Amino acid sequence: MIMCDWTDAHALARDEGRPTVADEPAVLAPTDERDKMPRGGADATASSVLHIEHMSKTFPGTKALDDVSMDVAAGEIHALVGQNGSGKSTLIKVLAGYHQADHGTRVWLNGEQFDVTHVADARHSRLRFVHQDLGLFLELNAVDNLALRGEFLLDPVHRVRWNAQAELTRSLLARFDLDLDISRPLSEATPVQRTIVAIAAALAGWEGGPGLLVLDEPTAVLPPHDVERLLEIVERVRSRGTSILYVSHRLDEVFRIADRVTVLRGGKVIVTRPTTGLDAQQLAELMVGSEVDAGYRADVPVTVERPVVLKARGVHGRFLAGVDVDLHEGEILGVAGLPGSGRSELPYALVGAMKGATGTVELSDGVAMPLRKAQSLDIPIVPADRAREAALAEFSVAENISVSMLQRISSLGFVRRGAERKLVDRWMNTIEVTRGSERQPITTLSGGNQQKVVMARCLARDPSVLVLCEPTAGVDVGTRQAIFEFIADRARAGLSLIVSSSDTGDLLAMCTRVLVMCNGRVVRELVGDEITEQTLLNAMEETEQI
Amino acid sequence: MTLQLPTETDPPMTHSAQPKAAAAAAPQGASVAGRRWVVAVSPRNIGAFYVLAIIIVVFSVWVPGTFPTSATFKQILDSNAITAMAALALVVPLSARTFDLSFAYTMTLSGCVAAHFVVSNHLSVPLACLLGVGAAFVIGVINGIVVVVMKIDSFIGTLATGSLVQAFITYFTSDITINDQRLTGSFSKFGQDDVNGIIYPVFYALVIAIALWLFMEYSATGRRLYATGFNPDAARLANIRVDRLRFCSLLVSATIAGLAGICLASSLSAGSPSAGTPYLLPAFASVFVGATQFKSGRFNAWGTVVAVLMLGTGTIGLGLASAPPWAADMFTGVVLLAALGATGLQRRSLRAGRTGSLAAVLRRFRTAS
Repeated sequence: MIMCDWTDAHALARDEGRPTVADEPAVLAPTDERDKMPRGGADATASSVLHIEHMSKTFPGTKALDDVSMDVAAGEIHALVGQNGSGKSTLIKVLAGYHQADHGTRVWLNGEQFDVTHVADARHSRLRFVHQDLGLFLELNAVDNLALRGEFLLDPVHRVRWNAQAELTRSLLARFDLDLDISRPLSEATPVQRTIVAIAAALAGWEGGPGLLVLDEPTAVLPPHDVERLLEIVERVRSRGTSILYVSHRLDEVFRIADRVTVLRGGKVIVTRPTTGLDAQQLAELMVGSEVDAGYRADVPVTVERPVVLKARGVHGRFLAGVDVDLHEGEILGVAGLPGSGRSELPYALVGAMKGATGTVELSDGVAMPLRKAQSLDIPIVPADRAREAALAEFSVAENISVSMLQRISSLGFVRRGAERKLVDRWMNTIEVTRGSERQPITTLSGGNQQKVVMARCLARDPSVLVLCEPTAGVDVGTRQAIFEFIADRARAGLSLIVSSSDTGDLLAMCTRVLVMCNGRVVRELVGDEITEQTLLNAMEETEQI
Repeated sequence: MTLQLPTETDPPMTHSAQPKAAAAAAPQGASVAGRRWVVAVSPRNIGAFYVLAIIIVVFSVWVPGTFPTSATFKQILDSNAITAMAALALVVPLSARTFDLSFAYTMTLSGCVAAHFVVSNHLSVPLACLLGVGAAFVIGVINGIVVVVMKIDSFIGTLATGSLVQAFITYFTSDITINDQRLTGSFSKFGQDDVNGIIYPVFYALVIAIALWLFMEYSATGRRLYATGFNPDAARLANIRVDRLRFCSLLVSATIAGLAGICLASSLSAGSPSAGTPYLLPAFASVFVGATQFKSGRFNAWGTVVAVLMLGTGTIGLGLASAPPWAADMFTGVVLLAALGATGLQRRSLRAGRTGSLAAVLRRFRTAS
């Protein structure tokens, strides 16, 4: 074992009762060990599938990776965690040959050194990737996708033998117990089916054995009950002798499947250690570098006795079969439920952004508005899918903030530049996004900061009600808590919020009341102290069976 | 006007991870203005402008006797005024990610309608022109109904309406150019009269360019049009009336095309049933090149004007140099590639290039639903 620093950290931690892994000695441990690290390739890689020494990657103005050394043992599931901007993606892109590492970087795969400092002309056959966007052709079916990544079976005159090809596809997918119509385009498949096809495609032509499969945020878009399915698949791949480098935001998954975890922060390896003896709180601390409370509760008072500010009646539509909502002043009302329960659809229906929705919604002024006209109530919504529904990628951060309230900063139809600048400055300050970045495209910001910008866009309209969907999706741990606190402060100041999230952590952290949905209806209501991880999960799963 | 701002007591978010890239790129102190200026005049930002400069230098050396003269300069402006108007017509709908392929036929229609009413009904020229623009406006309404109400993809939808317009023109003119003594009188004045050798349409194009520049750059509606084009879903959820904007953008393009068509008929002193068609491709080429200039990634008036001049200057220069007939087309192709290549180089640098290059602009249309 090369990176035996974890033993030091672990022993040290034991002495102090619990692993205070963020403390200086533990953090310094890898550096000390690095000096003792064997320099030769053969020795160093005897037991490891992937061995990285001194990997650095410099971009203009920033060092994305700074002297990273790590290894992945044979048959190991190795988690790679870190906040946005910690260097995880860069590390993967270097391994994939998309970026070229700085000179001095040395990487061994299965004991053979391979060059990552030049443009990769031949990818290593024992190093496979499933990138976050999966890299599938959704217009094509599973047969085509697997054939494109693996091989086409040709007859002597170079026609594709489609029957044999389909048979091959079936046998490849059978390993993963995947029930999928392989003749239909993948756009019709569920996200988890697509992910499994992507894994099968990545492993095409590889009959198990030593090597490394890199999974980059494979569960980012999966609903909770599909995550379990995917994790089983990952275990299955490992049982065939393949090591896995598993990149994820979701810490519970790391504990669920990983043997060891490497924490990156600011492009440096903070620690590599086994997951046993570590808990989510400690891991989060390692990632963020300072205390964060994984069990954070915003502690907003329950306000069910205060006046109702939004009343929705008989909401019907796609996945919605008659929902009534009463939102009280200063309340953070959570909406929970499994995919297809109507949880993710309800927010869009309420703000009038769902086609064909029926029912009424009224604000405190007391005029009931049919949902198809509800857009005129001007209830702002932070959409679930930031890249597709919220961020205007070609717009600057400033333009992204001001876009939904241009009429207020315009006279005679022309935007007053001074008023816009003032508005943007104030909000940049409030959401604490770096000064001076307002002229940059929004895509230069981290996911967390982009989310804050979208929230600022909505809050700039000075609403009495705000609807949030998946408020912390793709947001790093540190910013996540900042968002919770920000929302809680707004609620204490009298803003009423509806929060729909597939992440129970969001609901636990902020909500004063939670509606649990199933089959398009509200089936449970949890208030105040009733909201716990257990009651939420029970309510969602119980109702599943009904 | 009440401006809602966060109050002084607003609690700031307490725990934020600052983005490295943004921090590194954050402008610092006095160098900001300088750097912005350098960026503004870099070939990446205004590649077409540099190509135009090179073209002028090359032709000044090649045909020193005739090219670098004020007559040539005026000729370039005169011969490209209508192309510029046609290209400018496309700025608004394309900004909202909506194609208007029918504009060239709309140009033909407005010219023919105006000429027809002058010749057959003996209407006064202003009234006939008004009817011509009115006919164009009607086409805009039809386009709006097809694209926004019927939700037919704008590329196909306006191709279809364009085809229908051409069919109507052919039926209505029997495919014969409307020629008459009446069309050489006051009808031909506003398209042919000049100020010191610069014909009126040059000034119309200039006025349209200034109006579009102010509108797209400074008005709230302009900003919303860009937002609609960049991400219609996000725009809709940010409470922008996307459908209404797209509908209106088609009205704007049809109206400007109508004006261009009238000018064209006036300059020809005739209502030709195929007058507008040759403007289709040059206008699109110019407006797309224009989108990579000045306001990287955004369709804009001045970029379009520079692109029109870049292509027009070369064509005139080749004429003066008595180049062979195939030279003009070859030149257009080479120059388009050169201008986009110079601008497109920024794609190499990942961050800036995402929005600037023509590829990025086109990608948006490909992903349009």
